[in-house]
Amino acid sequence: MQFAINELVHDFSKTTGIECEIIISSSGKLTAQINEGAPFDVFVSANMKYPNDLFEKGLTLGEPKIYAHGKLVLWTMKKELTPSIQQLENNHIKHIALANPKTAPYGNAALEVLNHFQIFQKLTTKLVYGESIAQVNQFVNSQAADIGFTSKSVVLSPKMLDKGKWVEVEDSIYQPIQQGIVCLKNKSNKEKLALKFSDFLFSTKGKEILNTFGYSTNFD
Amino acid sequence: MDWEPLFLTFKLAFVTTIILLLVSIPLAYWLAFSKSKIKPIIETLVSMPLVLPPTVLGFYLLIAFSPSNGFGKWLDEWLGLRLVFSFEGLVFASVIYSLPFMVHPIQSGFSNLSKSLLEASYMLGKSKITTLSRVLLPNIKSSLLTGIVLAFAHTIGEFGVVLMIGGNMPGVTKVASIAIYDEVESLNYAAANSYSLILFALTFSILLLVYMVNGGYLKRFWK
Repeated sequence: MQFAINELVHDFSKTTGIECEIIISSSGKLTAQINEGAPFDVFVSANMKYPNDLFEKGLTLGEPKIYAHGKLVLWTMKKELTPSIQQLENNHIKHIALANPKTAPYGNAALEVLNHFQIFQKLTTKLVYGESIAQVNQFVNSQAADIGFTSKSVVLSPKMLDKGKWVEVEDSIYQPIQQGIVCLKNKSNKEKLALKFSDFLFSTKGKEILNTFGYSTNFD
Repeated sequence: MDWEPLFLTFKLAFVTTIILLLVSIPLAYWLAFSKSKIKPIIETLVSMPLVLPPTVLGFYLLIAFSPSNGFGKWLDEWLGLRLVFSFEGLVFASVIYSLPFMVHPIQSGFSNLSKSLLEASYMLGKSKITTLSRVLLPNIKSSLLTGIVLAFAHTIGEFGVVLMIGGNMPGVTKVASIAIYDEVESLNYAAANSYSLILFALTFSILLLVYMVNGGYLKRFWK
């Protein structure tokens, strides 16, 4: 989400004049921090689990809303490789990076894909886990891992555009990656501004930006 | 509870400590007795891991170990070895990361020895090696113990480097510190707590033992 969020915030600030500070971290860490009273106004996650967790604890203004569905891609920087699920069993591929399935939705989706093709067992020794999708990107980008599962928003981000090769994984074989946004209760009196930002993500302009980063905003 | 991460942590600390001991004795000996002009440079390099954030080391090792770059490519093509995402890679990283914790105590042990010990041994016609193993090392036992324990404990406490180059592979690179992080991220605070308590208790006991031995408490107790 970190790539799209910069663009979203930039546009939001330009149209409304409301300045935002972006704190980027993994959802698990941010949730722990919010639980302990971190002064954040909006929580944007690539996940519903963590926003829901905060909602259940009564730390949010209302229920989390799904602003987009994320798309999973298989990505490589190796010139000699063509990204495809069938290739994963190939001996040339020694390490396959995915995000921690326990905490990261893209990791979980990747696991579903491997299970769908029944190759998870065969690949266990090749799988390396990034603590978040950001670390998967680091592994793939440095070519420490030959190939990896990441978010489409990463390969479409300005810095990564035209770097390496990627292929979108058919989205019918993994559960939709529902991305959630929720406004948080705190003492900063910025609740109205926070709700404005949340609304912005559901506006035409907001959706347009999300779409350019590969997120789908057409869902029920 | 899964004991594997704890077992792996102690295996890593044990292997690292053995290698460090073998590397550090000659290195500390040279640092203590050499008058070479490049000595300050080597001393600085040895101490660097004390100051550098582990992420710097982790980042450079990730790049260096990557099979697409010089060093990593050479290892991969000539030795078929990939250090990234492997236990061997963690050992390599830990040796660098904990080096000052082994070298510094041993070096100061050597430096504090009276010169006359060395000279007496040479006067009696003993070689440098014999002098080192029969005269110098037995006289710096407590420095050696301090070095061993500090390096061991510091490797147990390693986190940033392992996170950067480990890849969280169960049984290979998922050490206890990573497992704790993982459990906290997954909101399993209870599991994180049990790992943490065990680490806390074990490291406390190890350090307490060393301070008791070095402080002579045990001897007094036995007498």
